[in-house]
Amino acid sequence: MAGGAREVLTLQLGHFAGFVGAHWWNQQDAALGRATDAKESPGELCPDVLYRTGRTLHGQDTYTPRLILMDLKGGVLSSDGVWRVKSIPNGKGSPPLTTATTPKPLIPTEASIRVWSDFLRVHLHPRSICMIQKYNHDGEAGRLEAFGQGESVLKEPKYQEELEDRLHFYVEECDYLQGFQILCDLHDGFSGVGAKAAELLQDEYSGRGIITWGLLPGPYHRGEAQRNIYRLLNTAFGLVHLAAHSSLVCPLSLGGSLGLRPEPPVNFPYLHYDATLPFHCSAILATALDTVTVPYRLCSSPVSMVHLADMLSFCGKKVVTAGATIPFPLAPGQSLPDSLMQFGGATPWTPLSACGEPSGTRCFAQSVVLRGIDRACHSQLTPGTPPPSSLHACTTGEEVLAQYLQQQQPRVMSSSHLLLTPYRVAPPYPHLFSSCSPQGMVLDGSPKGAAVESIPVFGALCSSSSLHQTLEALARDLTKLDLRRWASFMDAGVEHDDVAELLQELQSLAQCYHAGDSLVD
Amino acid sequence: MAAIKAVNSKAEVARAQAALSVNICAARGLQDVLRTNLGPKGTMKMLVSGAGDIKLTKDGNVLLQEMQIQHPTASLIAKVATAQDDVTGDGTTSNVLIIGELLKQADLYISEGLHPRIITEGFEAAKIKALEVLEEVKVTKEMKRKVLLDVARTSLRTKVHAELADVLTEAVVDSVLAVRRPGYPIDLFMVEIMEMKHKLGTDTKLIQGLVLDHGARHPDMKKRVEDAFILICNVSLEYEKTEVSSGFFYKTAEEKEKLVKAERKFIEDRVQKIIDLKDKVCAQSNKGFVIINQKGIDPFSLDTLAKHGIVALRRAKRRNMERLSLACGGMAVNSFEDLTVDCLGHAGLVYEYTLGEEKFTFIEECVNPHSVTLLVRGPNKHTLTQIKDAIRDGLRAIKNAIEDGCMVPGAGAIEVAMAEALVTYKNSIKGRARLGVQAFADALLIIPKVLAQNAGYDPQETLVKVQAEHVESKQLVGIDLNTGEPMVAADAGVWDNYCVKKQLLHSCTVIATNILLVDEIMRAGMSSLKG
Repeated sequence: MAGGAREVLTLQLGHFAGFVGAHWWNQQDAALGRATDAKESPGELCPDVLYRTGRTLHGQDTYTPRLILMDLKGGVLSSDGVWRVKSIPNGKGSPPLTTATTPKPLIPTEASIRVWSDFLRVHLHPRSICMIQKYNHDGEAGRLEAFGQGESVLKEPKYQEELEDRLHFYVEECDYLQGFQILCDLHDGFSGVGAKAAELLQDEYSGRGIITWGLLPGPYHRGEAQRNIYRLLNTAFGLVHLAAHSSLVCPLSLGGSLGLRPEPPVNFPYLHYDATLPFHCSAILATALDTVTVPYRLCSSPVSMVHLADMLSFCGKKVVTAGATIPFPLAPGQSLPDSLMQFGGATPWTPLSACGEPSGTRCFAQSVVLRGIDRACHSQLTPGTPPPSSLHACTTGEEVLAQYLQQQQPRVMSSSHLLLTPYRVAPPYPHLFSSCSPQGMVLDGSPKGAAVESIPVFGALCSSSSLHQTLEALARDLTKLDLRRWASFMDAGVEHDDVAELLQELQSLAQCYHAGDSLVD
Repeated sequence: MAAIKAVNSKAEVARAQAALSVNICAARGLQDVLRTNLGPKGTMKMLVSGAGDIKLTKDGNVLLQEMQIQHPTASLIAKVATAQDDVTGDGTTSNVLIIGELLKQADLYISEGLHPRIITEGFEAAKIKALEVLEEVKVTKEMKRKVLLDVARTSLRTKVHAELADVLTEAVVDSVLAVRRPGYPIDLFMVEIMEMKHKLGTDTKLIQGLVLDHGARHPDMKKRVEDAFILICNVSLEYEKTEVSSGFFYKTAEEKEKLVKAERKFIEDRVQKIIDLKDKVCAQSNKGFVIINQKGIDPFSLDTLAKHGIVALRRAKRRNMERLSLACGGMAVNSFEDLTVDCLGHAGLVYEYTLGEEKFTFIEECVNPHSVTLLVRGPNKHTLTQIKDAIRDGLRAIKNAIEDGCMVPGAGAIEVAMAEALVTYKNSIKGRARLGVQAFADALLIIPKVLAQNAGYDPQETLVKVQAEHVESKQLVGIDLNTGEPMVAADAGVWDNYCVKKQLLHSCTVIATNILLVDEIMRAGMSSLKG
C-alpha cells in the first residue's frame, strides 16, 4: 500500500548471528548518518523498514532497530567485562546517530574483539535483548550444543512468553508489517531455537513473510570430531525445520561445504580476510546480507518479503543460495557494461552458501542487486561508433543489468535492482581491501593511503541446482553416522525416528532441485 | 586403583569414604548458603549476573536456579529442590536444609563405623512414621477466605517483607477465589500477572478484569470508555495478500486502482459489520463499544472505526484471548458472519494509561470475572521480579490449600511434633536401624533451629523451650519469631501446605538415601553436554 513503510522485524538468534547483526546494524547506522549530509541523493533504502521510533520515559525520542536478539549468558558481555550494549537509547530525534556529533567510540582493535557487543555502535531498545540464562556462552559445561536443547528452550513457558511479549511489543505498533527476518546460527543449539521461533511466527502471524538466514561461522577442523558431528546434525535439523516453517531459507557461510569433510573457505579476488576470525567472516556476510535484502527495503516500489519468497521458492524450493561480489570490480573510467563483460561467461559472484562452485549448475530463479554504481557509469555510448556488445546498447543501467542476466541465464526468472547507494565500510568494519580507492574502485598496483569509505557490491539470491548436490551430500553424511555414538545429542530431545524423518525430508528437498527433470530442458 | 581406570585412563575417581565426604561436604555447603534465607526473618541474597543484572531474593528456588552450581552433588540436590518447587511451589529452602542435615546426622554415625545401609533403613522407617504423624496432625477445614489469607500470608512473608506481604496476601487470595469455578480444577493461568514500572511495590493490586499492555492505535479513539460492550475477535482487519500466492494483472493504472479497491472492499465489509452491530446495540444508550482483535487492524480500518466512536485494540496476545472472554463474558468470534449481541462481553470501565512509550489498557469493573489481573507495580526491575516470584508462590500455596482441603501448622510446629513422635517410635525398633530414626528426628529439628537463629534467638534455647511447651500442652507449638517464645501455631494463624510437607519428607529421604549409598564417584563422561 502507498504510504508507510512496510515494517520488518529482525530476530537475531545466536552468537555468530550477533556478529553478523552487529555489522549489519553498524551499516544501517552509517547509512543513516550519511543521509543527513544531504550530499547524497535522498535515500533509496527506507530506514523505517528496520527501525522504529519510540520515546523514553523522559520524553526523548529514540530511533532504534526493530530487533529481538537472543544470546546466552555471558555472550553479550564485552571482553573487558563491561556491559557495552547501551540499552538506553540516546535521544537525538530521527535520524539519531550522526557520526559527527557523537563522540566517536574507541574503535576496538581486531585482536581485542571477542564478542559482538565489542564493536556494535548502535543503541538498542531495552526490549531487544533477551538472554537465555540457562546456558553458558563460554566454558566447559552447560552450553547450548544440540538442536534439541534449543528447541526445548522455546518450549519452556518462561522463554516462550518472553519472546511472545517482545514480538507483541514490536508487531502491535506496525501498521503494515511485511514479515520477519531471522538471523540464526545453524551450527549449535540455536538452530533449534530458530526452528521453534519460526514455527511460532508461522503459527501466530500467518501470511507474513519469514526469511531465514542460517549462519555458519568459519572453517572447522577435522580434529574436533564431536563438534563437527554436532555441527552437521544441527545444520541438517536446522535447515529442514527452518525450511518447513519459513518462506525462504538461505544458508550463509564462507566455508566450502556444509558436510563433514572440510573444504577451504571461499576466496574473494579483492579481499584479504582471515576465515578463522568471526569478526571478518561476519563483516563479509553482513555485506552480502545488506545487499541481497535490498528488494524489500526499497523506498519506492519495494518487492515485499512474501513476493520475493514466492518468486524464489516456487515448487517447494524454499532453500536458496546467496552469492556476492565484494567489491564489484569497477576500474576507474570503466562503464558498467565493460565491467560486466569482463566476467565473461562465468558466474560473477562468489558463493556464500557453502554449496560449492556455482558454475555448471542450473539456476531456477534469482534476485540480483547491484549497488554503488554511479549513474554516469551506466553506459558511455559514443555516438556514431557501433556498441561493442549488446550490453552497451542499452540506455539505462537497469536495462544493462537485465540484459546481462538474460544473456547469462536465459529462461530464468530474474529480478534485478540497481542502486546508487554503495555499501559503507566505515570502521569498525575491518580493513579487508587490498587495492581499492576510497570509493571502492578497483585500482591496480599497491593500495593508496586513503581508507576505503564505501564499495560497490553485486549480490544475488538464487535457487540453484547446486543445492541438489549439497543437500544430498548432507543426507549422505548423516546416513554414515553411527548415531549410537552421539547419544548425548539424542538425549537432548531428538529421537531416532526424527533422524529418519529428517533424512527423508532432506532427500525430498534435494529432489526439488534436481536439474534434469525440468520441463524447460 | 579403581577398575574404571583400566578402561578409561582419564577417569577421575573418588571411593568409599572419600566419595561420601565429597557428597556430604557439598550438601552441607549448599545448606550453609541457603540457611540464612529460611523463614520470614531470613535475610536476602543479592545475585549479580555476568551482565550486571541485580536480583535480590530470598526465594530458595530462585537462588538455586540462578546460582551456577558446579559441584555435581550440589547440583543434584539443587535439582531435587527445584523439582519440589515445580510440584508444590514452595519448600525449596527447607528441602535443601533437611537434606544437608540428614547427611550431617548420618555422617556422625557413619564415622563411628555404622554402615550407611543401616542408616538408610532407619530413614525409611522414620519417613513412614513421620508421614503418619503428618496425617494425624493435619487440620481439615473448610477453605474460607480467612483461612486462605493465613496460608497465603505464611507463604508470602517468607518471600518479601511483611508490609508488602500483607498487600499481596489479599490480592493473591482474592484472585484465586475469583478464578475458582466449582467443578473445575483451579487454573492459575487465568490470573494474568502484568508488571508496570511505576510507583511502589505496595501499590500492587488486583484488577477485577484485565490489563493489556498495548493501547488503541488511533489518536481519535477515546481514552476512557464507561459501560462498554466488548467484542473479542480473531479476524484480520487489514489489507493483505491472500495466503495462497496470487497476483493480479492489469493494463492501466486505473484498472489497478480498481482491483486494489475491490480487494479493500472485502475488509471494509467486515468493518461495516462491526459498525452495524455497534449501531444496533448502542442505538439509544450512550454505551461504549470496544473491539479487541487478535489479528491486525490497518490504519484505514482504524480510521473508519474511530469515526464511529469505536475503540479498537489490535494484535491482542493469544494467551489473553481466553482470559478476555472469561473476564468480560461473551465469546471470541472467529468470523463476522453471525455476529449477534450474545457474542459481546461487557466491562464497566475501559481506559488507557500511558507510561513512556508503553501503553496499558485497563478493562475493569467486569461483572463476576473468571479471569483477573494482578498488576505488579514497583519502582525498579528487581522489585518487580521479586514481587512476581512471590506472587507465583503465593498463588500456588492457595491452590494447594484448596486442593488439599487441609493444612498443617507452621512455624516449626510440625517438625517439633514429628521429631517428638519419632523419638518415642525409635524405641519400638530393634537393632541399629533405630540410630537412623534418631538421626532423622534430629535432622527435622533443623527447621525450627534455623528459624530461631535467623530471627536472632539462640537456636538451642528456643528449641528446648518449644519442645518443653509441646510436651506439656500436647498442642502443636511453634516459635513466635517476634518474641522468641513458644506459641500455638494454629492460634497465631501460621499455616503451611500439607502437600509441601509431604513432598518434602518424600524427596528429602529419597535423595539423602541415594547420596549415602554412593560409594564411588566416577567422572568419565564423553560429552559435556549436560554439564
